[in-house]
Order: sequence, then C-alpha cells, then structure tokens
Amino acid sequence: MNIIEIKNLQFEYKEYDDAGEVTSTNPVLKGLDLTVPEGQFLAVLGHNGCGKSTLAKHLNGILTATGGTVTVNGMDASDENKLFDIRQTVGMVFQNPDNQLVATVVEEDVAFALENLGVPTEEIRKRVNGALRIVDMYEYREHSPHQLSGGQKQRVAIAGVLAMKPKCIVLDEPTAMLDPKGRAEVMETVKMLNEQGVTIVLITHYMDEACQADRVVVMDDGVIIMDDTPKKIFARVDELKAVSLDVPQVTELMYRLRKHGVGVPADVITEQECADELLKLPHLAKAGITKNAQTRAGSGGSYAAEVKHLTYKYSVGTPFEATAVDDVSVSIEKGQFVGVIGHTGSGKSTLIQHLNGLLKPTSGEILINGRNIWDKDTDIRAVRFMAGLVFQYSEYQLFEDTVYKDIAFGPKNMGLSEAETDARVREAAAAMGLDDELLERSPFDLSGGQKRRAALAGVIAMKPEILILDEPAAGLDPKGRDTVLDEISEYHRNSGTTILLVSHSMEDIVKYAEKILVMNRGRLFCYEDTDTVFSRTRELKQIGLGIPQISRLSHLLKAGGMDIGDDIYTIDRAEERILEILKTNA
Amino acid sequence: MLNDITIGQFFPGNSVIHRMDSRFKIVLEILIVVILFVAQNFWGLGISCAFILMIYAASGISFRLMLKSLKPVLPIIIFTAVLNLLFVKGTDAPLVSFWVINIYEKGIITSAFMLLRIVVLRIAMSLLTYTTSPIVLTDAIESLMKPLKKVKFPVHELAMMMTIALRFIPTLIEETNKIMMAQKARGASLDTGGLIKRARAMVPILIPLFISAFKRANELATAMECRCYRGGEGRTKLRVLKATRLDLYGTGLTLCVLGIVIINNIVFG
Ligand SMILES: Nc1ncnc2c1ncn2[C@@H]1O[C@H](COP(=O)(O)OP(=O)(O)O)[C@@H](O)[C@H]1O
Ligand SMILES: [Mg+2]
Repeated sequence: MNIIEIKNLQFEYKEYDDAGEVTSTNPVLKGLDLTVPEGQFLAVLGHNGCGKSTLAKHLNGILTATGGTVTVNGMDASDENKLFDIRQTVGMVFQNPDNQLVATVVEEDVAFALENLGVPTEEIRKRVNGALRIVDMYEYREHSPHQLSGGQKQRVAIAGVLAMKPKCIVLDEPTAMLDPKGRAEVMETVKMLNEQGVTIVLITHYMDEACQADRVVVMDDGVIIMDDTPKKIFARVDELKAVSLDVPQVTELMYRLRKHGVGVPADVITEQECADELLKLPHLAKAGITKNAQTRAGSGGSYAAEVKHLTYKYSVGTPFEATAVDDVSVSIEKGQFVGVIGHTGSGKSTLIQHLNGLLKPTSGEILINGRNIWDKDTDIRAVRFMAGLVFQYSEYQLFEDTVYKDIAFGPKNMGLSEAETDARVREAAAAMGLDDELLERSPFDLSGGQKRRAALAGVIAMKPEILILDEPAAGLDPKGRDTVLDEISEYHRNSGTTILLVSHSMEDIVKYAEKILVMNRGRLFCYEDTDTVFSRTRELKQIGLGIPQISRLSHLLKAGGMDIGDDIYTIDRAEERILEILKTNA
Repeated sequence: MLNDITIGQFFPGNSVIHRMDSRFKIVLEILIVVILFVAQNFWGLGISCAFILMIYAASGISFRLMLKSLKPVLPIIIFTAVLNLLFVKGTDAPLVSFWVINIYEKGIITSAFMLLRIVVLRIAMSLLTYTTSPIVLTDAIESLMKPLKKVKFPVHELAMMMTIALRFIPTLIEETNKIMMAQKARGASLDTGGLIKRARAMVPILIPLFISAFKRANELATAMECRCYRGGEGRTKLRVLKATRLDLYGTGLTLCVLGIVIINNIVFG
C-alpha cells in the first residue's frame, strides 16, 4: 500500500498586486512524480531553493497543487472535506524548533492538535503521555519550551505530531539548527518511529542522515532526478556534485581512488564497508609512514589575542550564578587560522564574546595586540573594530535597504571617509564573492548563502585584525557551506587576518584550521596544531566530540593491519597515504 | 539585562492555594479588593490584613517574596502616603508646622491607613500571580469571559494571542539580545548620545527584530495549521478547570470576612 502517491505535481508561487492581479509567477514544482510505500524511510536531498519544502507542504494540504494530483492514504490532498483527516495522517516537523511550539508548557503543546480535533480530555491526557514517553520527554512535560535544548524542542515537536497518531511524518530539515548531540537525539527518535511502522519522509542536507534511510530521492529544479537506495545514489558522485550536493567522506575517498585506477567499488557509504574493501587490497607490507613534518610558518612570537586566567560568571549574586568560562589562558598567534570546537555550553561563545569586549571578565585579562582591552584608556569600540565578531545566523543582523549600505554600516561607525568606506565595501563584498550588481539589491532578496556572506562582508569591511566567526556555515546547504568557508579561507590567505572559526563540525574545522582550540565544560581542553589534537582522538571522544568519518576509517584500517597513520582527518591525506601504501606494495 | 525580566512570576507548589481553581482565584481576588475598599477603619483593615497573611502562610510563598512584590510599586506607595500626610487637614491644631507645611494628626492617621491599604492590596494581587501559572490564568480568563462570546467578542482568539505572546516573549527577548550584540560588534553605539541619536540607533535593532518576528509568525501559523488548528470551535482541553470543595470553602471564608468587615463598619462607624 502506498501512503503517498504524487503524479505530475506542478506548483507555482504567485505574487499579487494590491488589486489582486497576478504580477509574477514562480514555477517551483514542474511535474514531479513520487510514490512512498507505507513504512518506508525516505530521505529527500536537494540544494536550497529546489522545491523540497514546497513539496512537503503539498503532502498535508498546506499548499494545493496547480497541476497534477497528490494522494495521501487514498485521499485526494486537495479535497477540502478530508483536510483534517489528511493532516492527521501526515504530520509535519519543521526546521526551526522555536517556531513550531505553540504553548508555554510542553504537555500543552503536545496536546495542541488533539485539542483542535476535539478529542475528549481523558483521551488527550493518555495520548499526550504516550507521545511524550515515545520521544523520551515525559520528565520534561511541565517545562516551558524555552528551558529546553534545540534537540529537546524538536522531540517535543515530534511528540506533538505523534499525538495525532499519524501514519507518516514529514520532517523538513529538522536537524539543520541543532548541535551534534541534538541531531543524534532527533535521528534516533526518527529511526525508532520508523521501526514502529511510521512512514518517514526526511528532508535533509546531512549526507550521514540520508545514509540511514531506506531510499533516497534527489530533487533538482522542481523534479526528482535520482531515486534509489542510499548506496546506489551516493555512488553517483559526479551527478551529485553537478547538483551542488555532497557525498559521505568515505564515498568520496573511494571515488578518488577509483580515478587512480584502484579496484574498489563505488557504492560504499559507511566506514566499516570502506575499511573492509580497502583491507582486501594488498597492503600487508608495513608502509613506512613518515609523518608529514608540517611546521607552519612561525608567527614571530607576537600574539593577536591573549587571554589570561579568564573567568566569567553569569548572573553573579543570584541563585542562577553559573561559571561559563573557568580560568582559561590561551595566546593566539598572529595570522593563525584557529578552529574552536566544544559541545554546546562548553563556553565557546562566552570566550569569543570576551575577545571584542562584548562581555567583561569576572576576573582575568584580555589583551588584543598586546593591549589590555579593559584598561581605562582603551576605547572599547576601537576594540570591537580590531576584533570583528560575526554571530551565528548572522543574516539576522541585516537591516539596510541595500546590501551596499548594510556592509557600510560598520565602516561608517568607525568614522571613515566616504571614499574609504566605498573602497572597503567593494573590497569586502568581492572577498565574500558578492558581485557588484548584488550591492544595490535589497539584502532580503538574496539567497540564504548570499545573505550570510553579505553579513560576513559587513564585518570584514571593518578590516579587523582578528576575525571571529561563530558557526558561519550553520543551516546552509552543502554548496552554500563550502562557498562561505572557502571564501573565508581565501580571505585569510590574502589578508593574513587572524581567524577564529567556531564550529560544531570537526570536518569543517580540520579542513581549514591550522590549530584547534578545544573547550570543555568552561575550561580550555587544549590548544594545539591539528595533528597533535588528533593524536588525542580518544580523549576527544570522551568529551563528546565527533571526529570525521575519514579518521574513524583510519582507526578501523589500523585495527585491520593497514596503518595509514594517526594523523588522518582529511580525505586528501587519506588518499595520499593509501596510494603511497599501494604503490610500495605493487 | 533583559533576560532578568520574568513574565508572570509563578512559583510552582502544591499548597491549598495552588490547588484552587484559577477561576475562583480570580473572582476571590476581586472580592478581596472589594473588602479592602469597604474597610473604613483600622479594625476592618486589620481583619482583612490578617486574612491575607493567613492565605500567604497557606500558600507557602516566602515572606521575602511577599516583600519583593512591593518593590515595583514602592514609589506609588510613598507618593500616596506623603500626599495624604501633607494635604489631609484636621480640625485641631497641626502637630508639626514649618514653612507652608502643616501636619495634622488626622493626616498621619489617614496616611498610615492608605499606606497599609495599598501594601495589602499589592500583596494580595501578587498572591494570584505567584500561585497561578500564566497559562492557567489565561485559561481562567477565557473561561470567565465565555458569556461574552454571545455578543461576538473573540474570547478564544484573545486567549490564543495571550498564550502565544507568553510563549514567545522569552524567545524575542533572547533574540533582541543577540541582535544588539551583533550590531554592537559592528560598532553601533546604543547607549550614548541624545534622545534622537539613541532613537536612530534603535533602527538596526528593530528592523531585524520585526523581520524575524514576521518570519516566526508565518512559520508558527503553518505549524498550527499542520496540527489541525481551526479556531475555537469544537475545541477540547487537556487541562479542564474544575471547582472542588476547596473553592467553596475559600469562597465561604472570603464572604465571611467581607461580612465581618461590613458589620464592623456599621458598629464602629
Ligand atoms: N511563500 C513563498 N512565496 C513565494 N515564493 C516562494 C515561497 N516559498 C518558497 N518560494 C520559492 O520557491 C522556490 C523553492 O523553495 P523551497 O520549496 O523552499 O525550496 P527548498 O526547501 O528546497 O529549499 C524558491 O525559489 C523560493 O524562492
Ligand atoms: Mg526548505
């Protein structure tokens, strides 16, 4: 039995003028076909703007097709009379955990749908408790949503849908705004529900999540272009790259090895499969792995930022007093690209907000360029221009009517001349890959990735000596993420600016950073070059940090007798080492 | 900081007062205000005062919190007391007299009376919010206003709006904080300069805040639709307000106090 049957689905967004006349149409879905059998776990991939969310909104009658048919559990989705049956059959969970919880108490929120449906009170109570137990949030039933973590909020949102006893749940990028722990919680819940027979449609930008599905469909420009099992889909690396998508690290490795003529299969998505395949190759002779002696250019001993015994307590003198940063001392060399990692609540944000004087230390000192920023004669605004801080989801800070004016906001605040401001705006925009013609557009007309880069340009235009970026790639699609991070890295190379990149993604950090600063429970866990940090992977795992798939592969290989080194954290290096080993054994 | 603002200061508990039906609590609260205004002398006020302190004791809310509730209204309390002290004229000679100020015995008495009345009033009001969660309060208001539906008053919509507002206030406060920090990091100076300059400095905060609020509202509306929201028609509730014997006792007791205060007025004039 098919729970969802879509035939030749077409949809266009229409814009109306004040008189109600259609001024423009934007065709988004262009004849899409899809059937989902009951009980399947389907992942939907596709770059931003290809129509995934639009498709999702057709599955429970939020939008109605302009052409074609959508059938849900035998009901026509455009049938007004069946609307509430359809919405009970297909539940929806959205990306932003904050914007889908209605009530101020968890259990009230879970009850919301049932209250709307007029279910009797005793039955509501029973179902609410049941749903909360399934997502493991029963203990939190009397909490208010703002006391919960992102992952917990998403689980409450899932419970709110579960209470309707749906046959199918559609999740539209449910993990995009979560940290790794929250993502894992949500994925675990989703898989468990699927095991209990609920059909899952998961829209995601995370390839590791798609790998866990029974089936993957890839969307591009309003139609489905690929439809197969995850293994088969990811084996088609070239096609995926052509539509701005990504593949798991080990798949990419196999793809590259195959290009070098190594006889390995392409359809490999887990590190275990990959290790098994690689260990079949002749590798027994122990390759003489010489560690790449990677000494970075010395920084001449001068520091961009020095943190001395920094301690910061929130809400001092109240019962909520909490130490966010505890006696941290660290010196960041000039020109360094530093990755900052640590789980949520480990004190990363508090630490970086001290570097440009947004927070004042409870005790300890902050020196920027050798100057104590809290000296009486230091102007704190000047410090903010020296240490530029870009917040998470920085596009929310855009407010001017053109991109140009928005980027100019910082330089203007610095009191720079018109000419200097103009030069800087253009320079910063170019550095972030924004064309000149975009500068006169409204920032709100840009795509998600472009908005993010415009916000970054707004800080870069101040030419800070240190650029601190809090999760600059969060919530973007794979292409958007790579573009932002590549532009930042290029800016680093060209300008020599010291960069602090805060991220939850170890993959992103190791790809760009020269040194890694690890925070754990308000303390500095370590600040070392990447190789040294990776020689301590066991400790990293202990403090709950994920390590890249490619590193996990190297550990499996080592256990199987193929030692490619302990310093593997990029695909490039893994590829190089494996080829080296294969050559010596040829 | 903005974070310290708490909306509807509710202190969960399981006392008799906490367990009372919130609709009764609202009505009895109004009754208590009536009692306080009916009381015309210190005896009457003293009795109502003792009654309220008794409720406080029963609610298990700490004495410190009770005093804390007075803090925001302190200026009003002092203002009223001083006003009465200075301007109430007695018939006998003033007790104190200097420059244009004359203080009479009657002034002192009236001032003390008003002071006590406002203090008790405030304490009584805080009892309601201390022992009732905002959401239950919303439910109670919706339930009490139900008769107004007959005259097409949007009772359910109003209650829904209150709920959503309560839900999003902490989120928006947090968001305002973040945007302020982000603009400060771009060199915006928010707390220096004259009034106009400061007002202008709010633009980079308010525009992003509005845009984000609209986006949230949009997404929330979709999420509500997905969960079959269709207005107040035929809606049931997870939590049903139920009157118990406790509420009857409470009402009886309050009415008794009102009776005593009225009799006291008649007897002592
Ligand atoms: N409410 C809307 N009004 C007008 N256009 C929209 C609306 N929502 C999405 N679009 C447009 O539809 C296209 C597809 O968007 P969407 O379905 O959100 O894609 P995805 O979820 O894959 O990122 C985009 O070009 C987007 O600009
Ligand atoms: Mg989308």
